[in-house]
Amino acid sequence: MESTSLAEQERVLASDWGGGKSPFGTSWSKFMMWIFIISDALTFAGFLIAYGFMRRVAPAWPEQMEVFSPVLITFMTFVLISSSAVMAMAVSAARGGDPKSATKFLGLTILGGAIFLGCQAYEWWHFISEGATLTKNPWGVPQFSAAFFVITGFHGFHVFSGLTILAIVALRATMGKYSGDSVENAGLYWHFVDVVWVFVFAFFYLL
Amino acid sequence: MESQGHVHTGYKQYFMTWLWLLLMTVVALIIGYFHFLPEGIKAVLLVSITLAKIFLIGSIFMHLRTERINLVMLTFSPLLLSIVLFFFTFGETLGTNPTHQIQNQSPLFVMPTGEVKEH
Repeated sequence: MESTSLAEQERVLASDWGGGKSPFGTSWSKFMMWIFIISDALTFAGFLIAYGFMRRVAPAWPEQMEVFSPVLITFMTFVLISSSAVMAMAVSAARGGDPKSATKFLGLTILGGAIFLGCQAYEWWHFISEGATLTKNPWGVPQFSAAFFVITGFHGFHVFSGLTILAIVALRATMGKYSGDSVENAGLYWHFVDVVWVFVFAFFYLL
Repeated sequence: MESQGHVHTGYKQYFMTWLWLLLMTVVALIIGYFHFLPEGIKAVLLVSITLAKIFLIGSIFMHLRTERINLVMLTFSPLLLSIVLFFFTFGETLGTNPTHQIQNQSPLFVMPTGEVKEH
């Protein structure tokens, strides 16, 4: 049975999807990182949608800005956005064949991430010392602390893994063993961590 | 490999993006912290600011602006699926909205046959 004409087959084979070509126009490692980021984004989408659902069905919801310190949250957001900007500069320097600047910028990115994690540890400690656990809290809305611990916990763990990846890349850069691609892939992951925080900041703390 | 001049133009653009991101964060904070707007408008504004920030980070920091459209379209899939998921679950919450419910009282269901059933 002849379902497609010869001309049609030739047209498909000559297209980007005909095989032997790169439809996404990236290196395999960068494409893999993007696939990972997209699947990870779905995880956080699930968390945030579940949070939205819980919040709407909850009889009440605590005033977040009275429970958490707005100054601390703003500072954390400032630090993470700044580290993301510095990371972009690290990628630029690495691609431009300037390992010295790349290492310096990577160091600053790591510093930002570490400060962010420190602030988060303080926030958790403060919240737990007020009596909040995964299943109960003084405000009488169990979903509130459950959502907080799960969402910020998963995000915090991503920051921690990001720091580990960045530390490895920075260490390799100081030894001269690095490529623009490896810095860029680590950077993509770091920006993704920033993107997730932008959502958490708006939906969990501000809305 | 990029030339030195190109790298420095890149730095300037990253710096400007950083400034815009900070500005949008401050605006979001003002909208979220001071309750001067009705809830609906506040939600729409916060979602819009968040999306604007995501687009900036994605296009400039993650270089999606210079990537092929195939990859760019792929990155929209989580956002589209989130919107679908949101509207699926949003409908479910309408029946249990606390403002429609009397506390500590088992809700009664009226069956299509007219029979009244306890939950």
